[in-house]
Amino acid sequence: MYDTTRREGAVTQDDIKIQARKVQVFYGDKQALKDVDVDILDKTVTAFIGPSGCGKSTFLRCINRMNDTIPIARVEGEILLDNENVYDRRVDPVQLRAKVGMVFQKPNPFPKSIYDNVAYGPRIHGLARNRAELDGIVEGALRGAALWNEVKDRLTEPGTGLSGGQQQRLCIARAVATSPEVLLMDEPCSALDPIATAQVEDLIEELRTQFSVVIVTHSMQQAARVSQKTAFFHLGNLVEYGDTDDIFTKPKDSRTEAYISGRIG
Amino acid sequence: MSDQSADIAQRHDWGSARFQSNLARRRRNEKILAAFGLGAIAMAFLVLAILLWTLISGGAQAFRQTHVAIEVPVSAEWVDPADPAKGNYRNVIRDAMQTTFPDADPSELRALSGILSNAAQFVVRDKVVADPSLIGQTVSIDVPTSDPYDQLNKGNVDTQSAENTRRLSDADIAAFQQLKDQDRISLPINWALFTNADSRFPELAGLKGAIVGSAYALLICFLISFPLGIGAAIYLEEFAPKNKLSDIIEVNINNLAAVPSVVFGLLALAVFLGWFGMPRSAPLVGGLTLGIMTLPTIIIATRAALKAVPPSIREAALGVGASKQQVVFGHVLPLAMPGILTGTIIGLAQALGETAPLLLIGMNAFVTAAPATPFDASTALPTQIFIWADSPERGFVSRTSAAILVLLGFLVVMNAVAIWLRNRFERRW
Repeated sequence: MYDTTRREGAVTQDDIKIQARKVQVFYGDKQALKDVDVDILDKTVTAFIGPSGCGKSTFLRCINRMNDTIPIARVEGEILLDNENVYDRRVDPVQLRAKVGMVFQKPNPFPKSIYDNVAYGPRIHGLARNRAELDGIVEGALRGAALWNEVKDRLTEPGTGLSGGQQQRLCIARAVATSPEVLLMDEPCSALDPIATAQVEDLIEELRTQFSVVIVTHSMQQAARVSQKTAFFHLGNLVEYGDTDDIFTKPKDSRTEAYISGRIG
Repeated sequence: MSDQSADIAQRHDWGSARFQSNLARRRRNEKILAAFGLGAIAMAFLVLAILLWTLISGGAQAFRQTHVAIEVPVSAEWVDPADPAKGNYRNVIRDAMQTTFPDADPSELRALSGILSNAAQFVVRDKVVADPSLIGQTVSIDVPTSDPYDQLNKGNVDTQSAENTRRLSDADIAAFQQLKDQDRISLPINWALFTNADSRFPELAGLKGAIVGSAYALLICFLISFPLGIGAAIYLEEFAPKNKLSDIIEVNINNLAAVPSVVFGLLALAVFLGWFGMPRSAPLVGGLTLGIMTLPTIIIATRAALKAVPPSIREAALGVGASKQQVVFGHVLPLAMPGILTGTIIGLAQALGETAPLLLIGMNAFVTAAPATPFDASTALPTQIFIWADSPERGFVSRTSAAILVLLGFLVVMNAVAIWLRNRFERRW
């Protein structure tokens, strides 16, 4: 297990990046999240854990408004990103998603070349003024995702031809190419083998020096390994939120204790 | 645990008669199912084989046409050098028959002229008009024989039957035999089948008008149904709110796909011809009608293809901040394209073979020229088949089969293109 306390000294944790206030989500008549209040810190890995259907992925998808694409989903409350409510009328979800990148459970590269996969976000948002700048962004993103050395000689080959772990890192590169401020990861390792998982976890550790990383995971070991903060969700409630070490060693809530000791879930 | 519950730890005697008969029954059922499947496929192949056999055996003759080569003396008596187009070429042909059969008396000459197709005089006329210096000289022509002699040459006339039961008398047959002995009769490939439009005379009738008419109609059908169908499908599948109204629209589109085609013909008759006063028998109207008919097919195929695109691709694009429109046109549509194209070509192939709506807008008219524009009167391949199948002349029997073969040929080509397009577009990803 990581000794997180020592590493935390290296980064500033004081800045609150995301503040959720009384967030409630309904799918039709069914309430999926109840009054979630949480402060997510900048340059920190925050893990959401909890049994299946507890609302952790739902909450993650509220942060970049991916729930907007579900017609029956309804979100109440406020999620402040740098003190601006992402559900404000003036916020365009399209631009929000450039600022809040997302990595999904299953690697889902576009059926395009490796280069075009990474360049897609910068292209649609007009981040590069010319080809050279775009090349620079792509290289930077692939280096950031620890994939550059493996693919630099075959950037024109299809992204779908990579191995599962490489595909997931390509998706991370695609997400970081727009220089997001927050990176959301929805069980990014659940479709990967242990070696690829270890690579992605190392990568997360790197990424947190630049972004606020929020990761949903089913694996408590993973949460303990990669995160500094952990939030435990149960039946749509945020039960407990605190330093990862505290959650795993001295949970305050009996449900948290039951979950991490394997009695519910 | 209740008393009735079985002891799952007990060991079964798998070799016992009870289990063996159970196993035998299951094996038998599987064999019966396989036999039914094989039987069904064999049946389908048999029917297909019979269809193709009757068409080919019946239609093959139509791809060849008996021709006769004769010398035609063009006399200034019948053709005025000042105005060669107005000449009496019927008499010119009679002179030619007199030269070929020196012994025939005038009453016999009339019957002998019937060996040549009606086209013979026009062939001579065209030659003379193109080169008036031919007047007073002899022109060699190689023209189709008329249908009864064509049938005779192809062995379709029983010369042993009673003379009054056939169209050709013994004298006619003898005259034809004389031409044959002079080596004037040949049986070349019947290019007229593709270069001529319809005619009352089977030996002159061709499919050019029908092919061009069908091509125009299909082009207009494609231009109408492809963009409209894809647009409607994209809107319904990707942008329309899911509510009662969109449900009703979906149900109605599905119903529309099942509406008998003749109903679309009635609609076109009332709307395009009645209200808008569009020209009758025009490929334009035919294409519009077929386009409306194909629209639901394309909408349904496109929606299915869009639905089949994995949601992970949409999420991936949305996740990096693509707008809805960028997701649909940049990611979903390209992936759905093979399915859309396949559905479209299947729909067009269906439209190509559709007869009933074209009958109602008058595309079964007797038109002897291929349409120059989609606004000209024309037939289409299926209606041409309909017209020929209805004609009494013997020569149209084999020509009907030949026309069906041509139509089937186009359908096979279109389906092959559909498969090729699908493979091509799929390989890219």
